[in-house]
Amino acid sequence: MRIGMPHMGNLHITLKTLFERLGVDYVIPPSNSQRTLSLGAKYSPEGLCIPFKLTLGNLIECAAMGADTLLMPGGNGICRLGYYAKVQQQVLREIGYNAEIVELGVSERKLIGFMQMIKRLSNDASWYRLITSFRFALAKLHALDAIERSVQKVRPAEQVKGAAQELYTSAIEAIDGANDYASLKKIKKSYLAQLDAVPRQSRANPLKVRVIGEFYVVLEPFSNLDVEVELGKLGVEVRRTTFISEWTKFSLFLNPLGINEKERYQRAAMPYLKHDVGGEGWESVGEKVLHAGEDYDGIIHLAPFTCMPEIVAQNIMPTTQEDIPVLTILCDEQMGKAGMLTRLEAFVDLLERRRRARLACNNVRRAYGSLLRD
Amino acid sequence: MKIGIPRALLYYQYYPMWKHFFEELGAEVVVSPHTTRVILSSGISRVVADTCLPAKAYMGHVMSLVGKCDCVFIPAIRSLKAKVFNCSKFLGLPDMTRAVVPECPPILSIDVDMNKGEKELWREIDRLGRHFTRNHSKVRQAAMSAWQKHLEYCRLMVEEGLTPPQALERMFGLEAEPEGKGASKEKALPTADASGQAHIAVIGHPYILYDHHVSHRLINWLQQHNIRVHTPEMLAAEAIDSGIGRLVGQSYWTYEYEVVGAGGHYLEHDVDGVIGLVAFGCGPDSLMMDMVRRHSALPGAAAFMNLTLEEHTAEAGIVTRLEAFVDMVRRKKRRKETCA
Ligand code: SF4
Ligand code: SF4
Repeated sequence: MRIGMPHMGNLHITLKTLFERLGVDYVIPPSNSQRTLSLGAKYSPEGLCIPFKLTLGNLIECAAMGADTLLMPGGNGICRLGYYAKVQQQVLREIGYNAEIVELGVSERKLIGFMQMIKRLSNDASWYRLITSFRFALAKLHALDAIERSVQKVRPAEQVKGAAQELYTSAIEAIDGANDYASLKKIKKSYLAQLDAVPRQSRANPLKVRVIGEFYVVLEPFSNLDVEVELGKLGVEVRRTTFISEWTKFSLFLNPLGINEKERYQRAAMPYLKHDVGGEGWESVGEKVLHAGEDYDGIIHLAPFTCMPEIVAQNIMPTTQEDIPVLTILCDEQMGKAGMLTRLEAFVDLLERRRRARLACNNVRRAYGSLLRD
Repeated sequence: MKIGIPRALLYYQYYPMWKHFFEELGAEVVVSPHTTRVILSSGISRVVADTCLPAKAYMGHVMSLVGKCDCVFIPAIRSLKAKVFNCSKFLGLPDMTRAVVPECPPILSIDVDMNKGEKELWREIDRLGRHFTRNHSKVRQAAMSAWQKHLEYCRLMVEEGLTPPQALERMFGLEAEPEGKGASKEKALPTADASGQAHIAVIGHPYILYDHHVSHRLINWLQQHNIRVHTPEMLAAEAIDSGIGRLVGQSYWTYEYEVVGAGGHYLEHDVDGVIGLVAFGCGPDSLMMDMVRRHSALPGAAAFMNLTLEEHTAEAGIVTRLEAFVDMVRRKKRRKETCA
């Protein structure tokens, strides 16, 4: 048996570790590229969202590399995602592959279900071996995400554009190669220090935007045309909530205890949207409401083209009382980089102007205040 | 109290039930007019472009009710069967409407989620009824008799082969149509099979099939061209279930029955051809209709055509495709008959 799984961000590094430690035969498809997208789009029905197309491209490539068991997230009540596997299986059959798609019920049993599945696939490895391998894989995931967070901070301020990104790429490689906790820790520490040492511009307070939206397009840089890197080049600092390590932390340890990471956003969305609408639609509305009151200059809202939950969110978001500029980017194979860059630049301009206006306003208020006091 | 019901989306499936419920509780019910170009384009002007066509039409209908009623009934129907869900737009319908039609009269809503069990449903019904009366048992009675009305409506369609508009006409008499293109004079479908008559099934969401403006009266056109039309509502539950079982195993969406279930059944039984009607921008359909299309490639399946309806779809274009399809179906049928 040979396992294959679609890409999402750096997830494959974690899975690779897990599979290797458990002695499971696996393939990692080539990273997402135009080729993957065209391949997926070619066999996709009309009107589907980009996660479907890219994952289909990955699965076809896995099958071509000899994988016979393909893992796909699935499950009930999570929008079209739960239906992907049924159609993708048909597509694979039609192209002539015999690979079997196994659905991971991420919505109901979350990681526990995933572990049980891995146990089965690894020829019933002992729980001890499973859990130790899993822990190490998770440690890599956390290291990757910690470094990414630091990269997000350095990008907008670096003197030489691209320095942080370069470090990030080599950090990913190093972490991929780490074989034990000690070297992993050393790698993490060394890269965090190097990132810290990247020469920065003196401008103290870069614009700050929050990236929100549908899980997959937020986490898979290829699908959003590297929007975070581009924002960094424009000198904008990016923050986001969605990290894979966050998701595993909650679904593995905290959700069973009844702690829900999304509740904060859901509560904030309540006055405008009372229901979960699948995907991240509810949270998108909530994040807009919350971050409008925080120290952000704007919001980048990433949504796959034709994504149903995000369409509901898009219809509701402009009407909330809490106001903050939002730029919605629809991710699709039609989206061109040049077009996106123009829109990003215009948006950043707008944010700059707003901030200047706000500062001027504050200065006047301060001057006025001291006048009154005198 | 006057309650407005938009003639869109779930209207086609539940109107008799809703009407009866509200009237039992002493309210008056008004329905928005049939979809027109004006209604559709006013809806389109309010929502983001990639919203699906039926949701756009829905907003237009709500707008046309402004000033004509005291409140509008917009249910949030999440799930009608455990683990089978509706699409995002149904889940967020009241909230989305409030956001894009701010001038909308107060919204009466009910959350239907069968995952939470029957008890919760009753609690929701009580909550809805409290707007009219404090008398619990009166609300329950109204709900029970409304349910009977719904069953009667379904029976008309399954046993007598009526389409929803015909069944509504039978139950409530004629509702005047603004354009009066003679559509309301549809006769009940002849049950006897005039020999040689081709049978075609039209599958898709009821709010696409029976909205004359959105579907360009496709069903009427077929009937006028001497085609015996079959629709998903005419199938009994067992036929639908076995259709779903064959194509996808288990249903995932509520709409599975009108698309996959009906598709699975008709591709193999009763008819010579199947037309799948899809609205532009429909998320579930992009996957479900694709399953039906793939199944139609199997040997022995009826001919299949997929028609996507957009706001700019011209009637002429549809007619051309229909003519070609009907010709093909008739030719195939003749060939089969001569072979036999
Ligand atoms: S949430 Fe959006 S992108 Fe994800 S499956 Fe649903 S429609 Fe597609
Ligand atoms: S099922 Fe399709 S057509 Fe109906 S509301 Fe949802 S997306 Fe729109």
